[in-house]
Amino acid sequence: MSTIDTRSPILSARGVRHSFGQTEALRGIDLDVHPGEVLAVMGPSGSGKSTLLHCLAGVLVPTRGSVTYGPSAGRQPVEISALSEPKRARLRLTDFGFVFQFGQLLPELSAVDNVSIPMLLGGTKRSEARRRSADMLDRLGLEGLGAKLPGELSGGQAQRVAVARALVTSPAVLFADEPTGSLDSLGSENVLTIMLELVREFGTTVVMITHDARTAAYADREVIVRDGVIGAGYRVSP
Amino acid sequence: MNRGLLKLAVVGSRSSYGRLTGITGGVAVGVCLLLLLWGGANGLNARDDRGAWLRETGSPSVSIPTTAGDPTASGPATPVPLTAATVLMRANPVEVFRDQLINRRDFAALGSTTVKIPGIASPPAPGEYYASPALQHLIETTPQDQLGDRFGQFVGTIGEAALPGPDSLIVVTGATETELRQSGHAFLVSAFTTNPYGASAAAYSTVLLIGAIAVFFPVLLLISIVTGLGAAQRRERFATLRLIGASPRTISRIAAVETAVPSLIGAVFGVVLAAVLRPATAQITVNGTRMFEADLATGWEAATAVVVLVVTASSLVAAYRTSREGIGPLGVTRAMQERTPNAWRMVPLLAGLAAMITAVLLIRVLEVRVPWLESPLLIGGFALTLVGIVVVGPWLTQLVSRMGLRQARSAAAVIAASRIQRTPVATFRSVSGLVIAVFVVSVFAGASSIIQEAEAPAARPGLLQPASLHATVAAGSSQDQVAEAARRAGQLPGIRSATIGYGPAALNQRDAGPEIFLRAEDAPGLGFEDIPETEIVAVDSSFLHYWTTQPLVLTRAPAQNLDGLVPVVIVVAADGTPEAMDRARTALDGSGVTAIPATSPLDIKLQSSARLVQGLAVLAYLGMFVAIAIAGLSLAVATASAVLDRKRVLGLMRLMGMPVSVLRRIITREAAVPLLTVLLLSIALGFLVAWLMVTGINDTYRVTWPATDYFAALGLSLVLALAAVGSTFSLIRAGTAITATRFE
Repeated sequence: MSTIDTRSPILSARGVRHSFGQTEALRGIDLDVHPGEVLAVMGPSGSGKSTLLHCLAGVLVPTRGSVTYGPSAGRQPVEISALSEPKRARLRLTDFGFVFQFGQLLPELSAVDNVSIPMLLGGTKRSEARRRSADMLDRLGLEGLGAKLPGELSGGQAQRVAVARALVTSPAVLFADEPTGSLDSLGSENVLTIMLELVREFGTTVVMITHDARTAAYADREVIVRDGVIGAGYRVSP
Repeated sequence: MNRGLLKLAVVGSRSSYGRLTGITGGVAVGVCLLLLLWGGANGLNARDDRGAWLRETGSPSVSIPTTAGDPTASGPATPVPLTAATVLMRANPVEVFRDQLINRRDFAALGSTTVKIPGIASPPAPGEYYASPALQHLIETTPQDQLGDRFGQFVGTIGEAALPGPDSLIVVTGATETELRQSGHAFLVSAFTTNPYGASAAAYSTVLLIGAIAVFFPVLLLISIVTGLGAAQRRERFATLRLIGASPRTISRIAAVETAVPSLIGAVFGVVLAAVLRPATAQITVNGTRMFEADLATGWEAATAVVVLVVTASSLVAAYRTSREGIGPLGVTRAMQERTPNAWRMVPLLAGLAAMITAVLLIRVLEVRVPWLESPLLIGGFALTLVGIVVVGPWLTQLVSRMGLRQARSAAAVIAASRIQRTPVATFRSVSGLVIAVFVVSVFAGASSIIQEAEAPAARPGLLQPASLHATVAAGSSQDQVAEAARRAGQLPGIRSATIGYGPAALNQRDAGPEIFLRAEDAPGLGFEDIPETEIVAVDSSFLHYWTTQPLVLTRAPAQNLDGLVPVVIVVAADGTPEAMDRARTALDGSGVTAIPATSPLDIKLQSSARLVQGLAVLAYLGMFVAIAIAGLSLAVATASAVLDRKRVLGLMRLMGMPVSVLRRIITREAAVPLLTVLLLSIALGFLVAWLMVTGINDTYRVTWPATDYFAALGLSLVLALAAVGSTFSLIRAGTAITATRFE
């Protein structure tokens, strides 16, 4: 159990502001995310949680401020917000993983092919990609379901396929936007337990958006975003 | 249904505007093309109706009594007198200027005649002529000795009511009764026919109907594709309405109305567009002439019928599709899995081919003519084949994509092959227009390839030389007149020789012998090389027929003088330049000694026997253009629709780091696989159907390699496909942008 993490942050946001037209979604965010940490971002609807996640992941470029990604030793930190879109896309593909609330699987692809896609995009051979995908599906308790289409899976199973796809490339950071938002409490617990078990095993850092206090309880730390700023204090979970 | 709810459902969101605009635009283009094609078909019919009088051959101008007890023996011919109720007409088989056919009709009539010749007030006097405006313009802009001198004195233009089109080349000349009777080709006419096709009407209608089906099909496909635009987006909206209490019936009604509104706007806009484009469309040359603008008008009844039909059909289809999708409060409750296509999909295609083959077997092999059955078999067979290609396409596409998925290595290949395999009907639908276009183009190219065969034979000794003209001499012409005509023709620039052939009687008379006699010294001028050393030589009269392909030999004539013989033909050898040929034609035709206008083996390409097919060829190229253009548009719309329908999932893939280039490759593959899979089949079937059609219309033609235009059309199809897919690239970038995904 940690109190104050003194390691170099893997993600560091400084003075991040972002506007959609006249609407200012983020109004100066300073945030450090440390390696291996599971960070829950909470807040009411429209508070700017998703915008913050998108800025951290290089999906959106902040209107002002910077986001720096400092991967493990041996690689220079990069200012994500200064990269071009193709470079940010490459970074998202190689270093980050994503899980969303719903609708993220390609409906015509089998579970195993859905999981293979990030590896194929990275240049892995298809046979190797399928083998690793099948292994990852097994790890997530989806043995024998690799040939199924997303439409033939339950909500929880489909979400685990999405987790498998996000983790199969061993990303440094996993961004999860309401990953259990469409599941019942049992399914939600199931997915979270297995996801966090794996990220801890891989040493993956997690930034997870949630509305749900029970989901946030799985995190090491939680921050609350309100009106585009991080709430007065954030606490380290016990 | 609540009007406010309906309004909200139809134009409730800003994102709907793009879809509604797409449907409106697509329907407008489709309706405009439908009306122009309909007008075109009407116009062709109207044109043929106006030109029907040119077909008139009338009743014989002589009566030949048969001997009692022996119907094969006949007595001497006696002229049937010309009366006020008849005119004497000579229909010339060929009057040529450069490479254009001129319809020439020579008339002799009594001053008191009551017969009305179409397009002119009264029959021209001998030495006078009426011409169509286009021909008169040609005469005025061409040296007299090459054209104008053939006809005499201009007295007026032929009215539009008797002209197929504004570019028709028609001349009505006046002649004496004696001249026409001497020609042996004159008929007595009391009224002019209004049946433009005569015995070939059924064949002509068959060809037109097949062409119409071939061109209308892609238009209908386009309308069907555009009205399905944004189906996924619509499904989500309907699910929301279901959640707040709308019944399935209400949803179906909303679907019908929201398709009806843009369809109606589009259809009305299409009618206006068709009216605006009509003058430009009339400028397209079909069968040698443009059309009168009025011929292309369909009338408000047809326009109303098209609007009502399109709006009703698209609304009903939208309501039906929506009810089948089973949209519930939580989205689509039934997974709309496509049924896996199977080999049964071959049935319509095989049935279509079987119908056409049956027709050909009846006509060609069994030689049984059953007119009431032939056309339905050919037309029905063609329509079934067309539908059959669309039906069998998804099955073939799925077979290929299954193999492709096994071999796929890249992310784009896996995603594209998987989608095609799961939704072969939907993916094939997007390229079906282009596949049909290629099929249609192949049919037309195959059918028109037979024209390529009708080339003039090469110059060979013993055969009529290609760059020669011959004119048969009218009975009763004096030796001196003919000699003078030949001498004048021989002195014209570009003319190498003018030879007179002799026989016992004029070639159109019963006493004409089987041979033509000429002076041996003139034989080299006709291209003969082995010439007997004698004064007078003989050659079989089939020498004058352009279909004679075996060289003929000269023989020594039994009599070594021309005593007792009359001039029967003048053969002129020219240097082959168009000016020399037309000068010679004009000199011979204006000499007053010829029975029919001078003809050349080069005229074979313009012969009327190939007219039907030539007309088909011109229509073919029009058909090609329309079908390919529509198909390209359909593909662009279908591809855009495929991107919009997967906006969220593709957007999320981009968010995860998938480059836009991979998305482009996915979309390109999804179009390329079904297109290339069925393309070869379309080409092969196109040529097979062309051969069946050509054989079926009772002509002894042979389908050969198509002209280069065909390959250009194929290339154009592929370029259009690429352009259609390429045009959606910006949509891929914008439609799957992260900001778009956030608010989905």
